[in-house]
Parts: sequence; C-alpha cells; structure tokens
Amino acid sequence: MPVGIVHRDAATAEFFDGTARGELLIRRCRACGAHSAPQARACPRCASPELSWTAAAGTGLVVSWSVVHVKGGPPFVVGIVELDEEPWVQAQIVEVAPEDVHGGMRVRVAFERPEGGEAVPVFHPAS
Amino acid sequence: MNRAPVIAGLGITEMGKVYGRTAPEFAAEAVRLAAADAGIELHEVDGLLTNTGITGDVGLGLQRDLGLRHLRLLSEVQAYGSSAGAMVQYAAMAVMSGMADIVACVFADAPLKDKSAGGGAAYAAAGRRPTGWQGLTAASGIYSANTMYALAARRHMQTYGTTSEQLGHIAVAQRAWAARNPLAQLREPITVEDHQSSRWIAEPFHLLDCCLVSNGGVAVLVTSADRAAGLAQPAVHIRGWGQAHPGYVMGRDSEFGLVSGAALSGPTALKMAGITIADIDVAELYDCYTYTALISLEDYGFCAKGEGGPFVAGGVLGPEGSLAVNTGGGQLSSYYMWGMTPLSEAVIQARGQGGERQAPRNDMVLVSGNGGLLDHHSTLILSPHAR
Repeated sequence: MPVGIVHRDAATAEFFDGTARGELLIRRCRACGAHSAPQARACPRCASPELSWTAAAGTGLVVSWSVVHVKGGPPFVVGIVELDEEPWVQAQIVEVAPEDVHGGMRVRVAFERPEGGEAVPVFHPAS
Repeated sequence: MNRAPVIAGLGITEMGKVYGRTAPEFAAEAVRLAAADAGIELHEVDGLLTNTGITGDVGLGLQRDLGLRHLRLLSEVQAYGSSAGAMVQYAAMAVMSGMADIVACVFADAPLKDKSAGGGAAYAAAGRRPTGWQGLTAASGIYSANTMYALAARRHMQTYGTTSEQLGHIAVAQRAWAARNPLAQLREPITVEDHQSSRWIAEPFHLLDCCLVSNGGVAVLVTSADRAAGLAQPAVHIRGWGQAHPGYVMGRDSEFGLVSGAALSGPTALKMAGITIADIDVAELYDCYTYTALISLEDYGFCAKGEGGPFVAGGVLGPEGSLAVNTGGGQLSSYYMWGMTPLSEAVIQARGQGGERQAPRNDMVLVSGNGGLLDHHSTLILSPHAR
C-alpha cells in the first residue's frame, strides 16, 4: 500500500525537512549523548529536554511486524525497526513478501514522496 | 464509623448495537440505574467521576443532566482502559477521607452508528490525524489500535514462542462463558478452528482475537461500609488497589509487548489487600485482544513470564477450567465498555449474582484495567467480605 498523506506541524518541521533531503533524523541528547526516537521530547536515559537532531545511518533490524489487512487492497506490512543507533521507529516495510518478513531482519530506510504530502520513511530489506 | 470503601450499586444500560442515543444519555441512564440498584435516591449522590470513550462527549455536563446540585466531588478521569479502576480508586479515597459519601463512577460511549461501515472503521477513523507525529504514524499504515497491539503480540511471540492457536484458546474459553451470560452480545460457541479460520485483521490477530465495539454505559456507586449497610444490594468491599504507567522507552531493551503494567499494579493491590495471587478466585481481565488477557495473566503471576501460551492452552480457562477468568465473556464476547467490562462482571461475581456463570468461589476477585497501548494499568481487589 502506498504511504498516506501527512502534513508537517511545528514539532515535525525539521524532521520533514530531513525526509525531504533523504535523511532520517533522530534526536541526540546534548547532556549524555544518548539517541532517542524522532518524536522524543526528553532523553530516555537522563530525562534531559536538551535534544538536538542528528541523521541516523538508516539501517536497523525488524523488532516486530504486522501484516495489515484492509478492505479493497492487498495486505501490507508495518513494523517496529530498531535503528543501529538504538531508537525504534514505526514504518512500513516494503519490497518484501509479507511471509518473508522475520524478526531480526536487516532493513534500510528509503523515502516515499506522495504528491501533496511530506516524504515518509519506509524500510526495505538491506541487500 | 466504618468508612472502608465498598461498591453498593451497579448500573448497566442496554448494550451493543443500540442506536439513536448519545454517550451522555447512556451515562445518565447508567447512573440512574446504579442508584436504583443500590436503593438510594439519585440526589444522595454527592460525588461524580466520569470517563469518556472514543466519542469524547461524556464530561462535567453530566452533573446537570442528572440534576445533581450538591456535589462535593466532580471530575473527569482519563487513563483510557485503566480509568474504570482508577475512578473507583479515587472514589474510595474520597469516601475514606470523608470528602464524599456516595460517589458515582461512570463510563459511556456510542461509537457505533447505524448503517456505518462497521464499528472498527468508526474507531479507526476517529483517531486519524493528517498532521504531525500522529499523522506520520497513520500515513505509515498504523491507523488503529489493532496494529499497535498486533506489534506488541508479535514481539511476545518472537520472544517466548507464543502462538496464534494459544491465543485462540482464550477466545474459545471466553465465548463459552459468554454463552452463559444473558448480557453478552456474542453467545454462539466457537472452536480454536473457528478462531484460526476467522479473517485476518492485523496479523498475528484474527477477527476473533479482537474485542467488540459497543454502545452503552456502565456506572458503579462507591460508598462506605456503614452507608451501604441496609441498602438493596450486598456490599462489595474494595480491599486493595494499584496503578502502573510503564512509560515504555521506544528503543533497544524496551519491555513493550513483553511486560505490562500488571507487573507493578498487581503487587501494589495485592499487598494492600494482604493477600497473594494464589488467593484470587476470580480474575476479570481487560481483554481488548486475546493477547492482552495473556500478558496480564503472566504479569499478575498466574503463570511464569513467557509461559502464558502453554498455560492458556492447557485447559485452565473456561467454565470447566480451574481458574475463573473473564466469566462474562469479556470484551471479546460480552460487551466493550473499556474498564467497566471487567469491573461490572467482577461486581456481579462478588455479589454471587452470576447465575449460570457464577464462579464456585468468589472470596477474592481481581479486576484488571489496561489503557492506551499498554501504557496505563489499574488493579482492584474486590471481595464480598469486609477486611
């Protein structure tokens, strides 16, 4: 299934500037250096609210996944991907048959650019 | 003066595909029914706590809908599916302190619309946002709780070897209970094969892993043991309570999907009641999905962590089993009123009013509430006996 339309707001503007450039931005704590998910508002390790943006390498592994069945379309796969920097992101997993997805599968980020919306990260098997 | 908290009234409206009525109307009726059940006049209610569901329109205005003009406590409570248990906890503390004497706790919702595409669709659409982080989640194809809970369940399967067939045993056992419950929406017995062949919703969940969607309302009245003496119903004593809000980190080493808030709220409540999990005769568990019941059984300690699958497949559940769990059929088969589903059935069981589905022993009844995406948890320990 193609990704849906999403528009930026104040909290997501920098993140979507990143996806437009082909970068998956995550947060990095200015106090302790720990990485956290893009939507984090405080560091999960030290609770500091002083977070900066940094580009993730874009590779990770599948922690969990679901094959979603909807009326009027083929099933598609969504998953939780653990980035190599440690944070989790939730995204579609594409270019792989649903039955071939497995836990621990290596994946790499790509970006889909639907007309009228922001670029959305998806993951495909890392070759 | 014995101000120990008890539940003295229970009101359950008509439930399910009941159209043409709003959630505030269901809420008001549920409170009136609870007052009548307890044998008190409505104006004797001096505390009101509300919890609104997906339609989001039950709140402080309920006071005027009920004509309550001398409230000493009024508030909206929101911790999603854990709210029913939480409301009872706050009501109990208000009664114990003397702040209020009779506190009504109510939940109502009316997400189902006549001739709609279906309840699940109504739930999914209501949560959809085209902007920001929520919009990104939806744009990625995660636009209902079904998918997030499926991701949690899959992680449990990956880590502990839990299978879909094992989850099916929960659905089958609860339907067998529901067959004995005149309040239940789905009473036709099912088999594990039926579960396995029901259509996929979000793998690993089949249709029969997922809860119902219901219109309706439920209210309970919390008062003191002294005030309850001589009322119409046997008092149900609130012997212990607890909450937990895990605040999962979404990153490496997260316990998301593996450990629920029951692991903390359970021991808190049991300690307050002065009992252990082995003393529990009846467990009414929040079961938005089969998996939610499974992980709750593990985290309360009915079985070891990770062994929930073999445990539920071993025949302990259901009317013929050794552990009375979700004796009304739960959210999977009876009705979906968030945390009021397990709470209402627990009150019925503690009173000994379960009829064909009454558990053989009811000295200690555990009520489990779960909210958000496993984010919020509440536990109550109820008993027909005073401490």
